Amino acid sequence: MQLDDAAAVAQARGGDEEAFRVLVERHSRSIYRLAYRMTGRPEDAEDVVQETFVRAYRQLGRFEARSNFATWLYRIGFNCAIDYMRARPHRESVETHETLERLTPGSDGPSIDDLVYAGEIGTRVQEALNALSVQERAAFLMRHYHGCSIEEICGALDLKTNAAKHSIFRAVKKMRVALKPLMEARTLGSKMEVS
Amino acid sequence: MQVNTWHPSEDDLILHFYGEGHPGTEQRVDDHLRSCARCRESWTELSETLKLVDAARLPEAPSGFEHVIWARVEQALMRPIAPPRRPVWSFARLVPLTALAALIVAAVALAVMSQRQPVQQTVPALSTSASAPAAKPDHTRERVLLTALDSHFEQTELLLVELMNAPDGAGRSLDFERSTADDLVTTGRLYRATAEQTGHPQFAQMLEDLEPVLVEVARSPKKIDKQEFKSLRTRIDDEGLLFKVRAVGTEIRERKQDLNAVIMSEGGL
Repeated sequence: MQLDDAAAVAQARGGDEEAFRVLVERHSRSIYRLAYRMTGRPEDAEDVVQETFVRAYRQLGRFEARSNFATWLYRIGFNCAIDYMRARPHRESVETHETLERLTPGSDGPSIDDLVYAGEIGTRVQEALNALSVQERAAFLMRHYHGCSIEEICGALDLKTNAAKHSIFRAVKKMRVALKPLMEARTLGSKMEVS
Repeated sequence: MQVNTWHPSEDDLILHFYGEGHPGTEQRVDDHLRSCARCRESWTELSETLKLVDAARLPEAPSGFEHVIWARVEQALMRPIAPPRRPVWSFARLVPLTALAALIVAAVALAVMSQRQPVQQTVPALSTSASAPAAKPDHTRERVLLTALDSHFEQTELLLVELMNAPDGAGRSLDFERSTADDLVTTGRLYRATAEQTGHPQFAQMLEDLEPVLVEVARSPKKIDKQEFKSLRTRIDDEGLLFKVRAVGTEIRERKQDLNAVIMSEGGL
């Protein structure tokens, strides 16, 4: 029978490597998705996933049994991604600059035909995410994809309430600007279908 | 008649979308949106954009990802302190290259020796104690090859990471990458022959898969244009080379550990 998270954590704390392997194999894909959204690159996401589990293992003693392991792991994952990206500021700034240039409304964007397939939406959203600062991206992803409350975001990112809120505000505003061409293309496509 | 002069700000609408507004404000925003067409339009645009974010699909991790990550985590946990990552072209990396060169010579020499002594290769792994000493050189040879391959794939991984992460501005110079790729092509061919001869077809196959991309980098123009660079990256990405190199590196390190255990149990070398 498969161990549930709580039992696996308890056994892993006692030095059971096999129990920790169960946790790694069970949660590695969801942490990969988080890491990919944060870093925007598959190879970086893999590094972040590895580091997340290494840190989680070393911090297992601090895990409170009544907490949800996945939530606790997400928190570590976000912090690993933030550290990872802050250690590579040159890459972040280059990407941000290029992405912003590409996404600015009025610049040569893709045609409607280019946007029909769903994969393109993913690419554009990821590009828009890449244009956010590390803190904005983390706060936005925690709120939007993981449903974390402002209070939880403050705890995970060590921010004051206002700072967490403003990170989300800035992130949403930037996302709106970046995704505007996509929204306009969709609206135009809908109008053409109707007529 | 009372004129409605209050309008929710964009921040209010964002908090409203996430249900994070103050309880009193939430109701007020709801009421206002029913009566104000301008704010309702803004609200619709905001919520549609955020729903679009939900519609974005993410690339899935490759198959077997869980196992590769576990192998990497397990290995990382065995190291007491993770060494800091060095830049690819630092002086500190040149020192292991010298050792690597020595290993190449050793691997080639062993491969040549094995061709001259075909009878020794057929000695069964499980044999009498009298034949045990004859098995030891096989372990030595395999260990030399694995060590050389480990360094080779590590260098390849660093090169690929460098290529994938480098800014892709027009007219970018690839001098370092070209010369490294050239070296890796040469050593890769030697290792491929040795890996085939020593019964490691999977490593030989990996080296074969890598060669076309390494050749492309080695033969790229001094200043590569943005389009060519993008196409090179797409190729690396599409073929999943970085992931494969990491996976094969993990496998090699595991084999080395197993082999070290065998050598220790036999009384060491």
